Amino acid sequence: MSGRETILARVRAAARQRTEDDAEREDRVAGRIIRHEPGLVPRQGASSGHGRLTQFLNKLDQASASVGRISSLAELPRVIARELRKRGLPAEVRMGAEPMFRSLDWSVLKASIGPGRPVEPVTLSRAEFGMAETGTLVLCSGLDNPVTLTFLGETHFVVLRRSDIMAGFEDMWAAFRARGLDPRTVNMVTGPSRSADIGQQLQLGAHGPMALHVFLID
Amino acid sequence: MSAGATSAEFRANSRAALADANLQAALRGSRGGFVQKRAKARAALPEFDALRDEATALKNHTLAHLDHYLEAFEAQVVASGGQVHWAETAADARAAVLEICDRVGARTVTKGKSMISEECGINEALTAANITPVETDLGEYIIQLRGETPSHIIAPAVHVTVPEIETAFRAAHAGLDPARDLSRPEAMLKEARAVLREAYFAADVGITGANMLVAETGQTVIVTNEGNGDLTQSLPRVHIVIASIEKVVPTLEDAATLLRVLARSATGQEMSVYTTFSRGPRRAEDLDGPDEFHVILLDNGRSALLGTEFEDMLRCIRCGACMNHCPVYQAVGGHAYGWVYPGPIGAVLTPALTGVEQGGALANASTFCGRCEAVCPVRIPLPRMMRSWREKEFEKRLTPRGMRRGLGLWLWLSRRPKAWRFATRTAARVLHRMGRGSGALKRLPFGADWTATRDFPAPEGRTFMEQWKAMKR
Repeated sequence: MSGRETILARVRAAARQRTEDDAEREDRVAGRIIRHEPGLVPRQGASSGHGRLTQFLNKLDQASASVGRISSLAELPRVIARELRKRGLPAEVRMGAEPMFRSLDWSVLKASIGPGRPVEPVTLSRAEFGMAETGTLVLCSGLDNPVTLTFLGETHFVVLRRSDIMAGFEDMWAAFRARGLDPRTVNMVTGPSRSADIGQQLQLGAHGPMALHVFLID
Repeated sequence: MSAGATSAEFRANSRAALADANLQAALRGSRGGFVQKRAKARAALPEFDALRDEATALKNHTLAHLDHYLEAFEAQVVASGGQVHWAETAADARAAVLEICDRVGARTVTKGKSMISEECGINEALTAANITPVETDLGEYIIQLRGETPSHIIAPAVHVTVPEIETAFRAAHAGLDPARDLSRPEAMLKEARAVLREAYFAADVGITGANMLVAETGQTVIVTNEGNGDLTQSLPRVHIVIASIEKVVPTLEDAATLLRVLARSATGQEMSVYTTFSRGPRRAEDLDGPDEFHVILLDNGRSALLGTEFEDMLRCIRCGACMNHCPVYQAVGGHAYGWVYPGPIGAVLTPALTGVEQGGALANASTFCGRCEAVCPVRIPLPRMMRSWREKEFEKRLTPRGMRRGLGLWLWLSRRPKAWRFATRTAARVLHRMGRGSGALKRLPFGADWTATRDFPAPEGRTFMEQWKAMKR
């Protein structure tokens, strides 16, 4: 017997101690997967209206992420250029072939397209969703959003539409399925990277970004 | 599977740990931090305990139907272009990793944090095959440089002091300026970041563990704070996930339930910084990501626990709360446990996975204070299972002779009420006299070890039964 058959046979033998009916069990499993019903949703994950936005902003702050709000997408390049000056960073940004960004006028700074390289001072990504429950950004990898940009930038900029802020996991997964997304990775990001492995002192900027800044488009 | 394990020598290991000044300093520095953070996170979420019940029920359901969930997961991985390898033993898992590495001509392998990899001895196997494994979790990197194993499942280098880390970095990063200032933790972090960044780009294969496997989608899930696991799995040509069979959950909604209790129980965060769901290899149009995606499903003794008194152990989501709250772990640290899993989960898992002869002694590493069970996000009855192992150890005559005799004497007495009352009455009287004046005993007959570091409160002269009778009258 192969490893697969041996392992499954052992699991099956244990299951049969409870019930003989394998077909019934198979139906239960298939049903649970197809229905994918939400479990208990804490109140923190069920915000709505303006309270949702306020909670999202608070949670971002708690996670040591910063936020800048802009009224229209067209402003993005100029706002990024300003943010870079404010942080004393060169006017350069690395991004993917994101359709949302491609139509913008990037003449105010040096914008290059491609995956992450060993040294990336500033990277730009687009979040598919935000989650007010925990101040989490949900990014989908792809041609338009290379996953390495999320982890290699020293400063990571993320663009998010206000309408994409969900209450929590459940409405986010529902919207995710409704959009028919199937990326290689779904990256939930809650603040800049950190480690407490040296003397149990929390430090930001372990392997990933030292700073995470969200541009929220109203 | 358990080569080099010293769990059977837990008593000697503990003695050495208590006498190790550096270790004690490191433990003092970390003690209490995790406990406070978890308590704060729990207080901030009114539904926390209800979510623990949900998580417990969800894991029980999955374990009852594990065969079907594993098959569903496998079908999804294959549909997304990945491959699943079933490993009955640690040796099978090592063989699967080596076969993939050999086929792609791997020279270096980066690794995200994985306890399963420790359990299987993947690093030793790679090294023996002339492939260099590079641990990328900062804590794992530190202990790899020091030639050690993790002493905590989520804070692997918790036993290492800051000056010891500086020494390890100076020895390992020999190409750097010897006069550089490494006195501050920030400088050390920056140095490790730079060194490891080269490693990510140079690696041919990246190996990560998995906190969960989602049957609905065929995704593997990793939860980290550093981002190392993501660089490990996104830059090399091949991504290997090594996970044990009980990690599967039915749906994305179920994954959410576990995520809600995982980070809060582990570090007190509402959400770890990075939670990544990975499905298959890179898509045709992607600019980055691995060309190959492999999932190794490890059994290594777990399926044999199903349907036994130890099945509950398979609910474990590896948050580490039990060891953070364990007075024994906090006193001796993780290495005293002698194998991969320390603390209360180690005391139950080690005998289950390596045998009672090897790991049974760990079941005694508990005062049965019950804090481990009280904080467990999936309510694993750890003390009950430790008691079971103690019984098995006793039955197999593995318990030290002095202890067996003491237990035998206690058993004899407890079954004879008259003798019991006479013995306790005599002891209460004698100890009362000995402690007259201070009300405390500086030295206890047959208990000198106990009184070496503290006084024993002297009995008040009458036994519980005597007082009970007097009050009933």
